[in-house]
Amino acid sequence: MKNERVYIIGGYQTDFARNWAKERKHIAAMMREAYQGSIEATDIYPGDIKAAFIGNFAGELYCMQGHLGAFFADFDPRFVGLPTMRFEAACAAGAIAALSAMAHIQAGIHDLICVIGVELMKTADSAKGGNYLGTAAWYEKECFGIEYPFPKLFGKLGDEYDKRYGLDNKYLARIAEINYANAKNNPNAQTRDWFMNFEHACVKGKYNSVISGRIKVTDCSQITDGAVCLYLASEDYAAKYAKQMGLPLEKVPRIIGWGHTTAPIEFAKKIADSANCEYVLPMTRKAITDAYSRAGVKDCWDLDVIETHDCFTTSEYMAIDHFGLTKPGESFKAIEQGVIEPRGKLPINPSGGLIGCGHPVGATGVRQLLDAYKQITGTAGDYQVPGAKTVAMLNIGGSATTNVCFIAGIDD
Amino acid sequence: MSNQESYRDNEKIKTVVVLGASGTIGSLSGGLMAQNGLKVYFLSRTQQGSERGLQKAISQARSEMIARNVICGDYEHLLGQAISETDWVVEAIAEDVKIKQQLYERVESYRKPQTIVSSTTSSLPLNELIEGRSEGFKKHFLSTHFFNPPGRMSACEITGTEFTDPNVVDFMRQFLKKRLRRAVISVKNTVAFAGNRIAFVLFSRITTLASEFGVETMDYLIGPYTGRLLPPLATLDLVGLDIHKAIIDSLKTHTKDAMHRWLTTPGYINMMIQKKLLGNKTGCGFYRKLESGKFVFLDPVLCDYVPAIEPHVAFVEKAKHFTHMGMYKEAFETILTAQGKEAEVVKNILCAYIAYSYSLVGEVTDSTTGVEGIDKVMAYGFNWAPPSVIMEALGGSEIVTKLLKERGFAIPQSLQIGLKSCFNITNSGKYFVAK
Repeated sequence: MKNERVYIIGGYQTDFARNWAKERKHIAAMMREAYQGSIEATDIYPGDIKAAFIGNFAGELYCMQGHLGAFFADFDPRFVGLPTMRFEAACAAGAIAALSAMAHIQAGIHDLICVIGVELMKTADSAKGGNYLGTAAWYEKECFGIEYPFPKLFGKLGDEYDKRYGLDNKYLARIAEINYANAKNNPNAQTRDWFMNFEHACVKGKYNSVISGRIKVTDCSQITDGAVCLYLASEDYAAKYAKQMGLPLEKVPRIIGWGHTTAPIEFAKKIADSANCEYVLPMTRKAITDAYSRAGVKDCWDLDVIETHDCFTTSEYMAIDHFGLTKPGESFKAIEQGVIEPRGKLPINPSGGLIGCGHPVGATGVRQLLDAYKQITGTAGDYQVPGAKTVAMLNIGGSATTNVCFIAGIDD
Repeated sequence: MSNQESYRDNEKIKTVVVLGASGTIGSLSGGLMAQNGLKVYFLSRTQQGSERGLQKAISQARSEMIARNVICGDYEHLLGQAISETDWVVEAIAEDVKIKQQLYERVESYRKPQTIVSSTTSSLPLNELIEGRSEGFKKHFLSTHFFNPPGRMSACEITGTEFTDPNVVDFMRQFLKKRLRRAVISVKNTVAFAGNRIAFVLFSRITTLASEFGVETMDYLIGPYTGRLLPPLATLDLVGLDIHKAIIDSLKTHTKDAMHRWLTTPGYINMMIQKKLLGNKTGCGFYRKLESGKFVFLDPVLCDYVPAIEPHVAFVEKAKHFTHMGMYKEAFETILTAQGKEAEVVKNILCAYIAYSYSLVGEVTDSTTGVEGIDKVMAYGFNWAPPSVIMEALGGSEIVTKLLKERGFAIPQSLQIGLKSCFNITNSGKYFVAK
């Protein structure tokens, strides 16, 4: 490995409350703004960028546009000729793009890579968009002819918890309430101005309809348009950049650990396979523990913040015990004790997560990594967790099929 | 306890009374208060009116839960109890000085000494509203001007009179920002404050130009691609033509500046008001939606509706394409280099927007905050690209100065200084819409 250390230089997130389809914008417009904003945020010299990696799930379905890497060459005349590529792993597309960028830097192929996660989703109504999302599962087996397949799959995750350990839906409501409350502190969060309280999250009715089983509207992340641009760099580049910014290199966050696993795509098989396991989703757990191990992190209590993939309240419920905040099946204890709240022992999703901040599918993993950067550099504004130095993020694709966990930290 | 001490705590306000809760601003701003955990009395002339207001607030919040924080009633039965209990009275009744004065007199007889009273008006002289009120009332009186609809427009202009205790204004500024999540803009006590003063001068000019170019073409030329979510005449349909005329009349009476000449109400607007073609509230105004879903447009000469002509102007289409691709500077470069009378109309309106906005820095907002206050109110109150961003899109102050000179606009001093703003093209992309 030529460059073991991979640094995060910062980036930019678009406002996830925006409706780019209503603005009649092309998906490349969103990428362009994220790129432009990232240059303003970081002061990187565009001529230093050696490659662009794009995370996107379903541009072809939502907006009849593939080959997204190619648009990067339009953003600056200096980019004509640069290598670009697009990565897809359902909702984990963003993290996979970052993971590949990391590998390219470690291999010494490039020293500064622009990673963009992007998804334009509001082009489709909820039924059609829900059907598109079904392609992240085994479409023929799990989604064909089924309305809103993913809420159903993640409803089944809650059902499995209920079967194995018992699950009171009030804890799911509390997860929704916390994420919405956190989003109010995030100026780029989709739901920052939406009303929410515990009672609303509990009630079923006109404004909080049941999607499937225990999953109501407030248990779901919403359809979101958004893009995030982030830079990963080698130690040599990071040192040069730190000098330019008047910072010691030790203050620049880097990826200190990662884990990447794939489980069988079919949800029923995942559950059948884990029947005798301690964890409901052992491949998700493995991605986390692999990251712990690579980062030299003993357990979750070495972390200061977690940004997790709460596409549904049940997925955050799962993440709580899979990160090890509680014993398997006891996630409710961390919720009851306030552990995951912004001032708790280990805050989860101070950004609002997918439920509060939004979930533009291909952008989510990059957004989580950017939020890890912001927390570590003390630039998260009103959602800053004081003193955060080590931050983990979990980005999952499909029904926890592709699992990517990054841990970011600084050396001092 | 001194005022300074008593106004330090954001929790000071626990109960609010909204007067005029059947109307849009009253019900929806009251809804925001209920959403944020305050106990809110919704009062209007009738119980049913207040309950209708609550339904609007529920619809805005998309939750019936907020009803738990709301008590509906009418002035006759609940005013005394509600006012005597409340910490803040928000008045959002009809824009009529006499009616407001009469209600304030009743409020005064019940209010606690520290209760704050604010009006949501921006077009009526605040000092007239409080004529005859006590010193204590006047010390606690100010304007909190919400924009419509408050659930989507976060701007709130705030100002007191010369009688208002500055601690009350400071406290409310913080309260509106922190508890009600408003983008608070401190304005001076001048008629129409900042947002309406700027926007309605431009609206007025556009209604005049519509006599020549037609309604559909004017909204096409000054459409969303020029930096606004809604075209201007469609916006006036939302506002209501009667309200539009009242604001123009008020500006004509109370302002004297370089743009005063643009404050006219063309004859066809008066005709529309006579015919009750007031906009969305009467079902038709500049636009009328047919059963087929298609729109017909008012012909200012005939004062009747004519079918759509679907204008197509080459530079507009090219600029819209650049906007579609997120290339806003290129879109404005296209406008700038275009020739012909349509292009001149667009350039003239954009120039007027910048010139007038910058000329009011210091007059309607504090000069120490630069152009940012005006930027904020235009962005968060109207969903328009802020004037400083339009200037950036056109190529910066040097180019804009030249454009203004060519068109006979005075060059505002604040434009030459080069004022900073928190807005730039990158973070204002949402205001450029490709249609």
